[in-house]
Amino acid sequence: MRILLTGGSACGKSTYAEALAMRFSLPRYYIATMRVFGEEGQKKVDQHRKMRESKNFITIECDRDIRRIRIPQNSTVLLECMCNLTANEMFDCYGNIIDVHDKILSDIEFLESQCQTLIVVTNDVGSDGVKYDKGTQEYIKTLGRLNIALAERFDCVYELVCGIPLVLKGSLL
Amino acid sequence: MILVIGAAASGKTEYVKSLGFTDSDIANAVMDERPVLNNLQDMVFSDPDGSANLYDELLKKSVVICNEVGSGIIPVERTERDAREATGRLCNRLAQAAERVVRLVCGIPIVIK
Repeated sequence: MRILLTGGSACGKSTYAEALAMRFSLPRYYIATMRVFGEEGQKKVDQHRKMRESKNFITIECDRDIRRIRIPQNSTVLLECMCNLTANEMFDCYGNIIDVHDKILSDIEFLESQCQTLIVVTNDVGSDGVKYDKGTQEYIKTLGRLNIALAERFDCVYELVCGIPLVLKGSLL
Repeated sequence: MILVIGAAASGKTEYVKSLGFTDSDIANAVMDERPVLNNLQDMVFSDPDGSANLYDELLKKSVVICNEVGSGIIPVERTERDAREATGRLCNRLAQAAERVVRLVCGIPIVIK
């Protein structure tokens, strides 16, 4: 089973994703892609760790190259999130922009080949009408294309609104 | 007229092409004889005050494509606020008159009217 969850900031994606993951078999993995910068980042990590306490997740910190991850075939995996992963892969420390669309898709496919259930959290970053610099525009485009590619292949796509899942594809599990 | 909305890079143009339109049918933020108008928000942003005047011409189109621009932080700049406001208001009017309104999320079309 492959499930994509989208929505704006703080719409309940993580909470819903974790609850959903709980319904699938163990072992249960959480792939954390966020690079921690400063106090705000650490606060977010602490908050998410607290949320996952007692839910039997094995946390894998992996901010890029998720192809390196090895897990057992019957696993349930929650990958959070496409926004961080895409940004981490796309921009290097020299300010270069790398075309990572195919690379990320193939990394995810490899992850899928290893697990039974995959839940991917992404984000809607293209609805604020702001004219960004070229790098950010490229980022919005890349993330958008990745979302489309995953939605096309996955069994279920839900958009979270105020914590409520709206079914865009498949049925509500 | 079909109004197609959605976030930037949500698959709107691809969806319109799946209806049978080709690149040569699609005008990019310019009003001419082509049946599909893309990036309406760019036209509004370049002239928010005059954007309401586009309404009659837009109704003659087969398809109008517009980015959803009203989420996220309300911009500090007055001109950007006005442009977002004008885009939203124009889309509301267009949606009322449209025979169909389709919203794209992750490439998935949802008919909302």
